[in-house]
Order: sequence, then C-alpha cells, then structure tokens
Amino acid sequence: MKLKKYLSLTRIGIIESRQFRLATVIMVIGNLLYLIVVYFLWKSIYASVETDVVNGMTFTDTLIYLVLATALFNFMEMYAVWEMGRNIQSGKIVLDLLKPIEYRRYLFWSYSGSFVTQFFFTFLPTFIVVSVVTHGAVPLGINLLYFAVSVILAVLINYSIDFIVGTICLYTESIWGINIMKQVIVLLLSGATVPIAFFPEPLKTVVYYLPFQSIYNAPLTLLLDGSPTLETVVTTLGTQLLWCVGMTLLGKLFWKFSLRQITVNGG
Amino acid sequence: MPPIITIQNVTKEFKVLNRREGLKGSLKDLFSRDYKIVRAVDNISMNIEQGEIVGYLGPNGAGKSTTIKMMTGVLEPTSGEILVGGNIPYKNRTKNAQEIGVVFGQRSQLWWALPLIESFKLLKDIYQIADREYENMLEMYRSLADIEPLLHKPVRQMSLGQRTLSDILAAFLHNPKIVFLDEPTIGLDVSMKSKIRELIHALNKEKNTTVILTTHDMGDVDALCRRIVIIDKGKMLYDNDIEHLKGFFGSYRTLKIRVEGILTERAEEVKAQLPDFSVSADEEWISVLVDEERATVMEVLNQLRSSFDIRDMQLEEISTEDVIKKIYEEGVE
Amino acid sequence: MKRKGLGFYLKIYGKILAQDLKSKMSYRADFIISTIGMIFTNIAGFVSFWILFRNFPSINGWNYYEILFLYGFSLVSLTPVQCFLDNNWSLRMYVYSGDFIKYCFRPINLFFYYQSEVFDIKGLGQLAFGIGTLIYSWIKLGLGFTPLILLKTIVFLITASLIMMALQNAAAATCFWIQNSFYLLDLTLKFKDYAKYPITIFSPVFRFIFTFIMPIAFIAYYPSLVILRPDEVPLLSWLSPLFGCAFFWFSYKLWMFGAMKYSGTGS
Repeated sequence: MKLKKYLSLTRIGIIESRQFRLATVIMVIGNLLYLIVVYFLWKSIYASVETDVVNGMTFTDTLIYLVLATALFNFMEMYAVWEMGRNIQSGKIVLDLLKPIEYRRYLFWSYSGSFVTQFFFTFLPTFIVVSVVTHGAVPLGINLLYFAVSVILAVLINYSIDFIVGTICLYTESIWGINIMKQVIVLLLSGATVPIAFFPEPLKTVVYYLPFQSIYNAPLTLLLDGSPTLETVVTTLGTQLLWCVGMTLLGKLFWKFSLRQITVNGG
Repeated sequence: MPPIITIQNVTKEFKVLNRREGLKGSLKDLFSRDYKIVRAVDNISMNIEQGEIVGYLGPNGAGKSTTIKMMTGVLEPTSGEILVGGNIPYKNRTKNAQEIGVVFGQRSQLWWALPLIESFKLLKDIYQIADREYENMLEMYRSLADIEPLLHKPVRQMSLGQRTLSDILAAFLHNPKIVFLDEPTIGLDVSMKSKIRELIHALNKEKNTTVILTTHDMGDVDALCRRIVIIDKGKMLYDNDIEHLKGFFGSYRTLKIRVEGILTERAEEVKAQLPDFSVSADEEWISVLVDEERATVMEVLNQLRSSFDIRDMQLEEISTEDVIKKIYEEGVE
Repeated sequence: MKRKGLGFYLKIYGKILAQDLKSKMSYRADFIISTIGMIFTNIAGFVSFWILFRNFPSINGWNYYEILFLYGFSLVSLTPVQCFLDNNWSLRMYVYSGDFIKYCFRPINLFFYYQSEVFDIKGLGQLAFGIGTLIYSWIKLGLGFTPLILLKTIVFLITASLIMMALQNAAAATCFWIQNSFYLLDLTLKFKDYAKYPITIFSPVFRFIFTFIMPIAFIAYYPSLVILRPDEVPLLSWLSPLFGCAFFWFSYKLWMFGAMKYSGTGS
C-alpha cells in the first residue's frame, strides 16, 4: 500500500504534536487573545472614520478576513524552512535522503499530522467562534466547498514556497535570515496582515500577479463571498492551481539541481 | 584529613509521567495523566578521599548521572546529606562550582565558535585564575599533550577526540579539587582512548585531583581506577578496591570457544546446555564464564565437546568487564 | 574566592562579546543575510503601517505621527531583548535535549552565563530603524528638545526594555515546566507587535489585563505618554520604571527557580 506509508507519517505527526498538552492550551489561549487584540484594534480603527465601509469592506468583513487569515496562517505554518535548515546543518538530511520516499514528499507527509491537529484545534474553533459571534456573517453554502478546495491548494503552494526557501539553506547557514525574509514577504503580500483590498492601486495589481495572494487572499475571498460567480470561482481556483503546479515543479527542479550541485562538490 | 566528598544515606526520587501508547493513548494523556514515583538513587553512602580516582559504574539508568548531578549541585537530594569539599553543593552551587570541574558526556562546555585558547582565557576570567597559575597550567598541559595545534582551532572544527581532550583540559584549568568525568572516552578510537587515559592519569598525579569517573568502558577502569563503586537500580552494590573485586570472583575463568555457524545464534544453544553459567558471544568467540567451584573448565569443555564441534578455544583469566557484568546480573553475594 | 560584582560580570560580558563578534565575522554571508532579513521585517512593518494609515487617518484620537512615535519607541525598547536575551529562544531545545546541564557547572550566575553566550547583533539594525522613526516623528510632532525630555525618554525607554525582557524571560522559563515553551515565546513576540497601539482602544477589562497581567502596555504606551501627552500622564506612567524593575526581577527569579528545579532529561 503506497498510501499507507504516508498515512502512518500523518499518524505519528498527530501523536507527536499531542505530546505537549499544555502547549496546546497555551496555543488556544494565545490565539484567543490575539483575536481580541485584532477585534479591538480594528473596531477603533473603524470608529475613527465616518463611513462604515472602507474599500468595500465593513468592519465585520475585515474582522472575519483577518481572523480567518490568522487561523489559516497558524494552520499552515509548519516551520518547514527551519526543519530543513536544521537538518541540513546537522547532516541529518543524509538520513532523510536515504529513506525510500522522495524527501519533498517525506517532509510534507511528516507535517500532515500537524495539519490535521492544527485544523481541529485552531482553525475549526476559530471558524465556529467567528460564525457565532458575527451572527452568521460568514455565508454557509456552496462556498464552503470552494473554500476547502482552495485551502488545500493554498497548503500546497505554501509548502512549495517553504520547500524552495528551505532548499536555499543548502547554500547558506543563515536559516534565520532566510526564514524571516520569507515569512515577512508571504505575510505582507498574501494579505494576511492587511487585507489586499486596502492596498493602494499599483501595489494591488502587482500583488495579484504574485503567488502569495493565492495562500490567504484566495481562499478567504471565496469563503466570504456568499454566492460567487462561476467566473470568480474558476479564475481564483485556476490561478491557484497554476501557481500550485508551477511552484511544485520549480521546487522539485531547484531541489534536484541543488542536490546535484552539492553531491558534485562533495559538500 | 577529612574526606573530600561525603555522601550519607542519599536518596533521590523523581515524579515520572506514565505516557500511554499509540494515538488513542496520546489523546487520553491530553485529559488525564498519572504519575509514578521513581527512586533513581536509593540510600547510598560513601566517602571519597582527596586524590583518589574512583570508577563509578552501573548499567544505563542505574542512577550514576543523578548522583553526579547531586554532587555538582544541580540536583537536590530528596533526603540524606552530601558534602563536597565542605560545601553542601545544592545550597552553594556557585561556590561548589569553583572547586569542581565537569566533563559531561559529549556535551562540550566550551564556546563552540571560539578557538580553544580563547575559551581558556574566558575560563581564566570566570574562575578568576591568577596569571601565574594559568601560565603554569598551560605549561604543564604542553608537557603532557601536543596542544599547540588545538589552541588556535575553533571547537566546532575539532574531531570528537580533540574536543574531548580540550574539554578535559578545560575542566582541570582552574585546578579544581574534584573533576567529574562522565563517559570521557565514549565514541573514541583506541589510540585516542589511551591518550585520554594517560592524560587523566597524569593530571591526577600532577595536582592530586580527585577524579570521579563514570564509564561503560572497562578499559578506562583498568587503566585508571583503584577503587570502584557499582550502583544498580539506585542501590549501591559494591564499593571497594578493584583487586578485591577480582579476588572476590577469583574462582572464575572465561572459556572461549569457536564453533561452526553464526556464533551469536549458536551461543543460544550453548546457553541452553549450560544454564548455570553466563554465556555471551561476539563475531569471534562464544564466551562462557566458568565458576570453578561448581565445575572445572575441563568438565565444561568436555560437556560442550559432546554436543558441539569445537574448532578453537582459549582460556582467559576473568576481566573486570566480566566481573562487572556478573555483578549486574547477580549482585555481590 | 573574590567577590563577583557588577564589574566582574561586565568584564566577562565584554570579553565574550568581543570573541563572539570576531567569530561572527567569519560567517559574513550569514551576517549579511540576517541583516537583510531584519531590514525586511522592519520595512514590512512600515509598509503595513503605511497602508493602514492611507485608509484611516487616525486611530482613537491618535494621529499618524503619534502612532509612528509609539512604533519607533517600541522598536527601540525591543532592542535589548533582541540583543541580549536572544538565547532564550534556544532554551527549550537545551532543556529538551538535556544539554542545559552544561551551563550549571560554572561558578558564575547561571542566567548571566547562559545569556552571555549569544549577542544578537541584528538588534542593532532595529535600533537604528527605531531611533530614525523616533526622531522623524519627534520633529513632525514638534515636541521640542530639552535635556529633561531627553532624560525622560531614556529612562522610559529603559523601563520599556526591562518589561519586554521580563515578558520574554518569563515565557522562556516556562520550558522548565512544560516541554514546549515555543508557543508562549512566539506569543510574546506576537504581542509586542500590538504594544505599539494605544491601550485606550481596548475595553476596560483588557486594559486591565494588558496593564497588570500581560504588561504590554508598558512597552510603548505608558512610557510614551510622558513625552507625547505631558498634560495627561497617568500615575501608572510615572510608576512604570518601578514596575519595570519589579517585573524584570520577578522574571529573573522565575527563570532561576526553573533552572534550579530543572532535573534534566536523559542522562
């Protein structure tokens, strides 16, 4: 069974991430506090202007968008760059390369367990709380399905980016620097800190041509639009799919190329 | 002169979490946990004199590290009393630290990125070593080992052997009264091992430093220790001279035989034949520890010959390793 | 044994720092990449700030330059924690692997010895950014310049730094009890981002929490009031230097208590 070996990696990941009970509690509390801060911050921001709608987004829209973006971030962030960087530096990577699974896949499936737990422990509770608190401002319909598909694509794109950045660690010892750059770029340009709707015009256009908005902005747009037109769904998911394939291929090629480089140089 | 280390009826207990197995278990652990009390060190007492090299032995998890952590002031005993150089280590950790040196396993305490000499200079400041003593010490180090090439090499670029050597030198630098060496030769090749042993021996002689050595390598014990202390499951099994120990088991000899087939597998058959004796095997030999009070070597050999086609044999006087193994297995009775 | 006073520790720190800088110079690429990463982080911070204020001219009665002042203030006050206490991030790893034991055998203060091992030079980049922002907003706000105001600024910057250091220490120290303090540390890192907003945006309950329980309001808000709104300085602002010292002392004690209680995993 091919799938079985991947699923057992998922299982181990779930067990590992459950080892730290208190950490889970802290994580949930931390997220709650964070949400509170976001709530009050944007409430007073909106209170400071006369109108209810800014750039086509009401306070509730913005709040849901940001809260879910954060929840998505927590769900997707897996510190793969750190893991790769550390393994490369310690030489443990050699052991992983010897495993009968392609490293790219191995790493992804090792993390899949934490995806599952994070989904149930952070994203889902947040989502439910947001739905209840905003009295059904989150439309529940066919958009959930689009959202689910979009999230899976987003996870894959995010992982591909992480993997590409992680590969850079084969060339430099500066994991921290590499990782922070990636994180900053992704968070800002994906619309996770400030919704892309708020961006000034030229920047907005640029951002739409980059892969990052496919990670947070795309699934959230699909989710918050109660009845998206077929055109919106197709273009959004299509763009994501395109990026997903592109980034995956790029990641694979870069990894292969780098690995050959390294083995040739005997690094 | 009073003993440099006094340990009296010391016990240390830990609270350990019982983890459940598997996915279900880990989910259960999320909601309830049960603990059990583990007695890592159980009522041990000993005195150690200035200048002794004591081999502190025991199988993994016997409580060796725990005892050492208590002597260095990292852990507080649950009950009992420890005095190290007149200090209660736990209460005067920093004062105690001035008097001791520690090499803990493969965990280098040196500054990773710095050349050794810079680490030494920092240690000189931290331990407030006077200039002259420091110079004398370096001079002595130069006479004992070829340290010049090491001095200007960053620790992270050193081989394991060089790093261990450096760590040992660093531990002796402030001329402590006691040095704790935890597995100093682990993972080293034979020539490096003997180099390290010579160094420890010389340092002990030169400065009359007390050395407490934990190890699994009986070569270390044979080369360095006159006295050994054995502990298992937290309890003290033996505390006396190594010679005494051998006399204790003097009636034992090791019979080594070679037979057809894979020796580790065939050893099982030998074991079945000789249930009263301790049998082990490596790639070359099957070893039988023969208690000559029960049966002579010839009798055992004859018995084995009846069922095995013996290709080759050797007879060895008992080694420390065998004795220790025997004690782990059966205790001192 | 000679007494080990402040002079002794300063001397040791100076020597370790000098050695550390020397060895860092041998990793020039890492240094450059990390610095770029730091600059990226700060630029991204400014960009999101700017995007926000393009859409909203003020927050809760605080105008652009005032918020910018808070922002700069928080950057400067975060420098010491970044520079001096960065090794706190590795603490959980040392504790988890049992390597922490190696710090316990030296005849000097354990906390000092542990923290002295790392000096994070990247913090200086942040300091430069912070000071730049502070001066810029200072001029735009027309705050004037007297020796007294400078003294106040310095005293309150130190106060704010102490509190941030205290928060981070306390968060890091939890790893002596729970096995994974990463989430808690990460939480403090996230929260410091929110320290730069005026606390008045929150409801009374959370104002209380952020003042007394998780004192992030002391990182920028209360100290800044002394400079920005000299006519309406609450008693808390004046008391904050005291709070700062107390919090720091408490976190230090907690850290040391944890370290001493720490029983060491593994052999």
